[in-house]
Amino acid sequence: MIVSWKWLEQYVDLKMSHDELTDRLTMSGLNHEGTEKVDGDRAIDLEVTSNRADCLGHLGVAREIAVLFDLPLNIPDPDPAMGRENIKDHCSVQIECPELCYRYTARLLKGVKIGPSPDWLQDRLETLGIGIVNNVVDISNYVMFECGQPLHAFDFAKIKSGKIVVRRPFAGESFVAIDHKTYHLQPNMCLIADETDAVAIGGVMGGADSEVSPATTDVLVEAAYFHQLSVRNTARMLNLHSPSSFRFERNVDSAQLDWASRRCCQLILENGGGELLDGFIDVGTRPVENEPIVLRLPQLKRVLGIDIPADFVPKTLEALGLKIESQDGSAVTAVPPSWRKDLTREVDLVEEVGRIYGFERVPENANVPMAASFRLPSDRVLNSVRTVLTANGFDEAMTPSLVPEPWSEPFSPWSQTEPLASSQPMLGVLEKASQNIGAVDLLRRSLVPSLLEARRINEYRSNTEIELFEIAKVYLTRNGKELPDQPTLAALVSGRDFFEVKGVVETLVAYLNPKVSVEARACDLDLLDVNRSAELLIADQTLGWIGEVSKSGRKHFGLRYNATVAELNMSVLEKLCVLVPQHENQSLFPAISRDFNFIVSNSVHWADLRSTVTEVGGDILESIEYRETFRDEQKDGPDKKRLLLSVTLRSSDATLTGEQADSVCQKIVEQCKAKFDASLVA
Amino acid sequence: MSPAATIPLEDFIKELEELAQSAIEEFGAVADSEQLEAARIEFVGAKKGKFKTVQKKLGSIDGPDKKAAGMKLNEVKKSIEKALNDSVERISAGGNEKVRDSKFDPTLPGSQQKIGKLHPITQTIEELKDIMGRLGFTPADGPEIEDDWHNFKALNISDSHPARDPLDNFYLSLAGSREKHVLGDNDLLMRTQTSTVQIRVMETTKPPIRIISLGRVYRPDTADSTHYPMFHQMEGLMIDELVTLADLKTVLKLFATSYLGNEVPIRIRPSFFPFTEPSVEADYFWNGKWVEFGGAGIVDPNVLTAVGYDPEQVSGFAFGLGVERLCMIRHQITDIRYLFTNDVRFLRQF
Repeated sequence: MIVSWKWLEQYVDLKMSHDELTDRLTMSGLNHEGTEKVDGDRAIDLEVTSNRADCLGHLGVAREIAVLFDLPLNIPDPDPAMGRENIKDHCSVQIECPELCYRYTARLLKGVKIGPSPDWLQDRLETLGIGIVNNVVDISNYVMFECGQPLHAFDFAKIKSGKIVVRRPFAGESFVAIDHKTYHLQPNMCLIADETDAVAIGGVMGGADSEVSPATTDVLVEAAYFHQLSVRNTARMLNLHSPSSFRFERNVDSAQLDWASRRCCQLILENGGGELLDGFIDVGTRPVENEPIVLRLPQLKRVLGIDIPADFVPKTLEALGLKIESQDGSAVTAVPPSWRKDLTREVDLVEEVGRIYGFERVPENANVPMAASFRLPSDRVLNSVRTVLTANGFDEAMTPSLVPEPWSEPFSPWSQTEPLASSQPMLGVLEKASQNIGAVDLLRRSLVPSLLEARRINEYRSNTEIELFEIAKVYLTRNGKELPDQPTLAALVSGRDFFEVKGVVETLVAYLNPKVSVEARACDLDLLDVNRSAELLIADQTLGWIGEVSKSGRKHFGLRYNATVAELNMSVLEKLCVLVPQHENQSLFPAISRDFNFIVSNSVHWADLRSTVTEVGGDILESIEYRETFRDEQKDGPDKKRLLLSVTLRSSDATLTGEQADSVCQKIVEQCKAKFDASLVA
Repeated sequence: MSPAATIPLEDFIKELEELAQSAIEEFGAVADSEQLEAARIEFVGAKKGKFKTVQKKLGSIDGPDKKAAGMKLNEVKKSIEKALNDSVERISAGGNEKVRDSKFDPTLPGSQQKIGKLHPITQTIEELKDIMGRLGFTPADGPEIEDDWHNFKALNISDSHPARDPLDNFYLSLAGSREKHVLGDNDLLMRTQTSTVQIRVMETTKPPIRIISLGRVYRPDTADSTHYPMFHQMEGLMIDELVTLADLKTVLKLFATSYLGNEVPIRIRPSFFPFTEPSVEADYFWNGKWVEFGGAGIVDPNVLTAVGYDPEQVSGFAFGLGVERLCMIRHQITDIRYLFTNDVRFLRQF
């Protein structure tokens, strides 16, 4: 809200400096956003919060100043002279949609001479940056910026039969507004119509046909109270935002309609002549007086933490326009004025007294008691995961939670159910090259597609070593009315190959719990190369998926180079993580290492061999290590491979003898022969 | 003995001196025991060593010069032996510490390990958690998809409040039924603020409460240099028998001091939020001007009632601030979209 220094001076004596004024206003709730000098005046921009519609006019701001600086406030009392003819003989108003228009008042002026406004009035509006039209329109704007009540002036000659009907639009009804554009109306809008046609959209915009023009002589002044949400929705739907709709959206003071109407007519008479008809039309509901509020004085200290002198309270409330009904040493009972609908409860009055007394008087060295705080176990695991991934060369990414459909479909291993869609897309979040891919309006079920897009952008920018991870929630629908499942996942996208990335995942799991091993089994996911991908499990529970992106997958995501992805469920990692590892004694006896070079068929997997060796090795098998796979068809025949592995044997209570080691190794060879037809390379 | 050629003394001495010099040089230069052994054989080898070869020439020296030649021979033998011994000692002690190898280039790069970087937003969040943790605030987590109750109603945001406008929220439905979607009481939406977590904690916990909630929130702004439809918030909540605006201001002051690392002036000024009363905007004074850092206030009695607390018995404060804003000011990031584009060159700066 821009206010003019000179305009404010009409109501309150501005003896203070500009800076002192704007500082006090800022500190009492009207944040000063800047001031511009305009032709001998100053345009002061104040931020008005949505609860303070009363400060959307100069009078409201002047009232705040009067309270803050303890100055008298001079409010004009318009008392325009009226002629003999009665308005009711010329005009009628009917509200057909009382849920959209609560109250409608009208006054009628005849024989008005339309012309330019006086200079002083033009100056005021120009300081605010409001365009000048003619005396009647300018005056209706002036009164709006004076008291916050929007007004509308009609060329009464264009109102057929002098009949105003406030109604909803008919099906398919359209309307030509002052801007000469045609608007198609919706049934939930509030129309001002005459006997047959729409003449204005209530609170939003007037019509081209009934606007006040140089040819106008008779003027109908409307001061009405429209439903705030209806005005808001209409303005948004038609994209017609005006100072008028802005004020109706924030709720106007319906007790002020008559004052605003009288003020407007008085100024028209003074500056355009003519005659105001006797009486006025006032239909709809009358404002209800606000309920009295009891403010218990000890509540001030309980909420604000400071002592406020008892006599400051009624004095301040009264200056703000509240009517003091009663007061004693412990409480004040007061009725808020009609323009302060935001004051309904005791705590609202506490705020009023506090903000005028000054929040700068609230101390910033109170004795806040100490309290213990804790780190969440999930946060500890999260930190460990981040440590391992960054140590392995991955940079952390952050991508939007919504994705376009072409990214949602190809990869959703966590859920086969439909994705959730948002009522509107995210706008402006896609790189130029991806902007034609579709609306970003699906909640993602995997982080991988978003990271592939991040990888594509990096490839396109000729970046190297594009190793990215992200830890975020995904959104999986569930049956019934429950909130969707929103598990936190950790996803990786890398230029390294399947086994290198698998190694990162294994490193991560070993870091969280050295005793747990990651199992893998083949999987079939559209995005991934069927021979270079796997489902990862921990003790039969899915940890996640890993794989190299297939050729078609790379094409779909616009990737030039190989990429490997992995996605892990954080809750599985949380479960396996040992946050406080417990000490175990280390054996001080020497270890013996033995190597095996088995020939087995291709169908025998490392994990099979490993579990057999581990089982046979028993307590003295300290570790087992994979060395390499080697194929020699000529020597070993087709469909065969050589698996090289090493074991380390160590006893916890004695030095292992060569014979003991040999005997274990012998059993290992026998068992592998029996189970997998494994033979040692000769 | 062949009377043949005699060798002049001066030639003999010259040869000896040259031998001594080259032996000393070579023993001084050997880098390992292998080279040392080779040098030993070359110079003092029992059969074909150079010294042996020269020594054999002593017989060809004329009688009167023989004594002088023999003395020189002894002298050279000692100096070669000393060079050999020094060399043996040096090699056994671990090589030559003083001899430069021109092949060595210390300016070649070392073998570096690539360490990834945490996202600047994560770094800011960790810092915030750390500071608030020291002030006794424990993190609390909650869902990003929320219902009407936790995102609006319990936070004293009435049905007619503009914050509920469909255009200002990501309301949700199943993708297949998008067209048929009608707004109603059971609507789900992407949370617009982390205050939702406060409601969830208060619903299940008795005071005293001192928590922070951090995470993603969503509002349908079109992305530009200062807006993004997804961003992060930190909300703090403290509830106890008697918590006042002075406690709030004190905690904000401590927070600002910790975060900015200095005694920094702060102020609170009146504002408006449905879930707090009084509501304030908090500013800190930085680089000569007041900078907004977040909204705050005393928890509205309607909120306390909504979660089953008695506003006559307990009170509390809440505050919320935008993580991106803090992060961008701290690192002088000029466009919020950089944070979510994930150019690795951007990420590696922090």
